[in-house]
Amino acid sequence: MRERKLQLIEEASVVCGVGPDRLLEFISYAWVMPAEDNPPRLDEEDIARARLIQELQEGFGVNKEAVPIILQLIDQLHRLHHEAKFLR
Amino acid sequence: MRDPYEILGVAKTATQDEIKSAYRSLAKKFHPDLNPGNKEREARFKDISGAYEKIGDPESRQKFDRGETDEMTGAGRAGPESPFYYQTQGNGGGRYSAQSFGGGLDEDFFENLFRQGGAGRRARSADRPGEDQLYQMEISFRDAVLGSERDLTLPTGKKLHVVIPPGVDSGSRLRFRGQGGPGIGSAPAGDAYVELSVKPLPGFTRKGNNIETEVPISFLEALRGGEVDVPTVDGKVQLKIPAGVSSGSRLRVRGKGVAGKGGERGDQFVALKIVMPKTVSAELKAAVDAWGNSFDYNPRGDA
Repeated sequence: MRERKLQLIEEASVVCGVGPDRLLEFISYAWVMPAEDNPPRLDEEDIARARLIQELQEGFGVNKEAVPIILQLIDQLHRLHHEAKFLR
Repeated sequence: MRDPYEILGVAKTATQDEIKSAYRSLAKKFHPDLNPGNKEREARFKDISGAYEKIGDPESRQKFDRGETDEMTGAGRAGPESPFYYQTQGNGGGRYSAQSFGGGLDEDFFENLFRQGGAGRRARSADRPGEDQLYQMEISFRDAVLGSERDLTLPTGKKLHVVIPPGVDSGSRLRFRGQGGPGIGSAPAGDAYVELSVKPLPGFTRKGNNIETEVPISFLEALRGGEVDVPTVDGKVQLKIPAGVSSGSRLRVRGKGVAGKGGERGDQFVALKIVMPKTVSAELKAAVDAWGNSFDYNPRGDA
């Protein structure tokens, strides 16, 4: 299914338009948990998530405290969505 | 290419703030992660973010208004290489949603929600211990020798009760476990260190666990012996001077030094310094002349 192409911080930064420092910040808050560590390497999911966070913050003006809550809700939504699909 | 002002629904004369808030309210409505799978809304969102990219900041807006449209920047976010987040969650779900807490909307759900970090079970790799922090504190010579207690307010507003054990020296570090920077995730906080620097006390020199001082005495005291007050870190003590001491003679005051590892204190050594009167009167000189003839001696030995 998903292509597991891993990218280092700098490469990932170019792909998603989130600066390397901000990416590291997201990682330090565990908002983004790179597919691989040492050095951190991000997969497509990590990168899309980083961009979503940036859009939440820049686009919607979501503050730092609310970001993890929104992420958590989105994660829940996706999980429930899959569970529902499975039950159908 | 549609006019970005039109897409965002603002006037050409709108302020940056107006543009921003127009973008925000539209983005909220059309963001694909809030409308997963709705292609129509997704296309709208791409238009909206493309428009905002053109006029969202004053610099690119000026460029646009002058007609210098760079088609490349007009692309917005698009392309199969950069999917929206929801698109990475398809077919069995992504890592994050798989890690997220399953089950109903019970207490755990909300408790989980307000923890830092998105996914419920956090990857260990995200845990990072807090940073150690180093602070400097100046203490008096006396506090270094005898020990002391102090309250220190850190720049963070946190208060530390600092117990200075006896016998510390400049460069000694006291460690406060868990009082440093906060840890991330389930990792522990860092430690705070307080590095001490000892303010010198004039006249007192530390040599290991001993303290060296000097005391001036008159030549009569040197000759006859006697008792003089000498300062120690515990206060004044009376020191007995035997008759016939010389400048540089060192007398030991037991137990007035610095505490060692076992808690036993070193000694204070007092060096004597014979000081002559400021003026030598005629009477004194006459008396010494009379005395000198019968008691003269050669301090330089036989040389």
